[in-house]
Amino acid sequence: MDNDIILEFKNVTKKFPGVVALNDVSFKIRRGEIHGICGENGAGKSTLMKILSGVYPHGTYEGSVIFNGEELQLGASSIQEAGNKGIAIVYQELTLVPTMSVGENVFLGREPVERGSINWNMLYANTREILEKYHLDVQPQVIVKNLGVGKMQMVEIAKALSEKATVLILDEPTSALSETEIDKLMDILEILKSNGITCIYITHKLEELFRVTDKVTVMRDGKEITTQPTKELTQEKLVKYMVGREMKERFPKATRTPGKVVLKVENLQALDPNETTRKVLNGVSFDVRKGEILGIAGLMGAGRTELVMTLFGEYGKIVAGKILLNDLEIKPANARQAIDAGLSLVPEDRKGMGLVLIQSILKNISLPNLDQFASFFRIDADAELKASLLQSKSLTIKTPSLEVAVETLSGGNQQKVVISKWLLSKPMVLIMDDPTRGIDVGAKYEIYKLMNILAESGVAIIMISSDLEEVLGMSDRIMVMCRGHSTATLPIAEATVERVMTLATGI
Amino acid sequence: MDISNQNAQKKTDFKAELFQVLRLNVQTYTILLALIGIWAIFFFATDGTYLASQNISNLFRQMSVTAFLAAGMVLVIVTGNIDLSVGKLAGFVSVVAAYLQANIWFKYLPDQPVLSAILTVIISLSVGASFGALQGYIIAYLRVPSFIVTLGGLWLFNGLILLVTAGKTIPANQPWFADIAQGYVPIIWGWVFGLVAIGFLFWNMFRSRQSKRKHGFELQSIYIDLLATGFLALVLLVYVYNVNNYKGIQNPVLLLAITALIMIYLSNNTRFGRYSYAIGGNREAARLSGISISGMVFKIFILMGFLSGVGGVVLASYVGYGTTAAGAGYELDAIASCILGGTSTLGGVGTIQGAMIGALIIASLSTGLQMMNVAPAWQYVLKAIVLVLAVLADVYFKRKG
Repeated sequence: MDNDIILEFKNVTKKFPGVVALNDVSFKIRRGEIHGICGENGAGKSTLMKILSGVYPHGTYEGSVIFNGEELQLGASSIQEAGNKGIAIVYQELTLVPTMSVGENVFLGREPVERGSINWNMLYANTREILEKYHLDVQPQVIVKNLGVGKMQMVEIAKALSEKATVLILDEPTSALSETEIDKLMDILEILKSNGITCIYITHKLEELFRVTDKVTVMRDGKEITTQPTKELTQEKLVKYMVGREMKERFPKATRTPGKVVLKVENLQALDPNETTRKVLNGVSFDVRKGEILGIAGLMGAGRTELVMTLFGEYGKIVAGKILLNDLEIKPANARQAIDAGLSLVPEDRKGMGLVLIQSILKNISLPNLDQFASFFRIDADAELKASLLQSKSLTIKTPSLEVAVETLSGGNQQKVVISKWLLSKPMVLIMDDPTRGIDVGAKYEIYKLMNILAESGVAIIMISSDLEEVLGMSDRIMVMCRGHSTATLPIAEATVERVMTLATGI
Repeated sequence: MDISNQNAQKKTDFKAELFQVLRLNVQTYTILLALIGIWAIFFFATDGTYLASQNISNLFRQMSVTAFLAAGMVLVIVTGNIDLSVGKLAGFVSVVAAYLQANIWFKYLPDQPVLSAILTVIISLSVGASFGALQGYIIAYLRVPSFIVTLGGLWLFNGLILLVTAGKTIPANQPWFADIAQGYVPIIWGWVFGLVAIGFLFWNMFRSRQSKRKHGFELQSIYIDLLATGFLALVLLVYVYNVNNYKGIQNPVLLLAITALIMIYLSNNTRFGRYSYAIGGNREAARLSGISISGMVFKIFILMGFLSGVGGVVLASYVGYGTTAAGAGYELDAIASCILGGTSTLGGVGTIQGAMIGALIIASLSTGLQMMNVAPAWQYVLKAIVLVLAVLADVYFKRKG
């Protein structure tokens, strides 16, 4: 019986100054199962994984971790050690070297060496063997930067498996994947399982837990709340465990009566700035009304982000079509012009494009809006602070002061800073590109409520999301994109998952 | 009993707060402590002459050319760029100034020393700003990396220096022009400037506290503010007293002080400054916030060129001639000053104040080692050790913090 348990946490407690990150956590993981771990941000999932990988070595936490019947005692410089024991992690942020080939990445730091030089043939042969064994559809010699995110993930998995892992930990593996890529990943997990590999699957996305896991452990505030076979759980139960209260609805209800058309886009066509022979947008038409939320659905690569970046004047050259704002044609050539016209963009990549992480909340909020407070010679610091404080309070950003650097905030609070910054510019159209990506259930709900309030106040909102349920739950109408053009715009009453998926895949 | 207890409580609070402030700003103090340490070592090694009035006076004048360059370099590095050409650009400006003084005005404007000096300054600054604009244009709009463009600039200006001087030394010690960097502020005016500056420091401190109070920000103990401001005021007083004991504040040092103040204001209180730091902190976020990256980088290189021009004028006036070797190696001193002062080579972080102290450290080392008659070879070795140690200490404290 005990032999069935590959990994067991026994009363694990990890304290940081002022915070208990893990509080007496105990649960078991059975050999060969796919074990899901879910919980909101800050629930302790990543701390747990850092103990497993040796980032927090043995002795820096209380309690014990039993791996294959013996206590796991990783030393202080032990990230390699965990790998040697057969525990491998695929992190949320990909850790590949983009300019190297797949094979080079898989064997990075462990290249087969013969008489002082790398045996390239053996390296690529070994890579191919691993890729084929687990049905990973990638070529060993391809340069990684030419792959899509989904394929990069496969390379990460191959890299983990090449270290003869018996336990594979996947930390939020689907946050950047499209629906088809997620399907593919789910298939790969099944293949791994049939090869006897134990997977620990950490995610926010509940539907994936139900699709693929055998058991689920729910964590909240550093504690293990429950570990149950997935079959015995329902979505409602799971959410209740995660947030500690019953959440009646994932999406707050709102009834709206949208006003007149604010933004109208007619047959927009634009080129890829990096490859000017390719049309990345090929005929996009839609409109959005005052006080309306228009959802944009589509698969990865359909051109959704490219569309909103084009509207914002920061993408490729427009070769045909019109953008009309309040019936007047606009041609934004850069972000400044788009902002001045009345557009705002909450970008897809919060940390990479939305925030200056090393700077304070105050400086981030005021950055695009300094014209409101500044003359040529001087920024009126009092006015700046006053406006930013008002904005941050109305969005309930949790922080002791606005002088705090945004890099120290949680994902949800960071996103609120981005939204604050764009609301301060008083936009007519607020574009939100995947606004709840990588933030926890509670913070998502707050963002949804905020969107409803904004729409009610008369802002026209365009929301892109990879989470189809979110698009269906929040939008008044849904525009579906496929391969650079808009296939249809559906009123919410006519939109179903099947219908949207059909339009998005262009069947 | 009760009151004394309260006082005791307050005292320990003040102590705790003071230690906290000190701990938080440990990086700022490491550089200051390094400076004080260096001064102390040289003070004992030279039996006190190192800190004599005349030497203090020289020290500050010595740092001035590098410091003008460093003041601009901070923003260049903050935006994620580098300028390797500043030393040679300053050198080129200095030979242009000397050439105008010695060969042009002497012929066409004889006996007009004031007008000559003014024209020289205007033309020199324009030359600096124009070459800054040229390099800035290529970097910002044609998107050639600044490292390459300014390396090219370094070679170009070196060539131009040889062209203008034709390999000879050009005298630039005419009256009025020489006074720009060789002259002194009259003693009484030195005191006036010093006191006005101290008044400003305290006024600024109270104003900032008032504004913080108005917005409900937590105020740190007034004693800490008074201590910090008082310390600055004391340093200023000691400096003015000291140099007034010799001949007074040197003109270039006063000019540098004004330039540094303007640059500090520019980087903290204007959109120009904010945008620079935002670009360095996250280029993409800055771009999507409506900031024109190209426009900003272009302007920063014009400013850098202008400040190189100022450095060039001071150099020509101070040395008294334009030479083929003018400005050689100054760019590296300027970059080192910024790094010593806490500017991050990754961009987004750095202060003018820090760079000024960095420049002072470099000048302190050079003068001290010269006074001790250390061979030039060992001067370089010691400078190398100090630079790397300072950055090492910085890295160490950052990791600890």
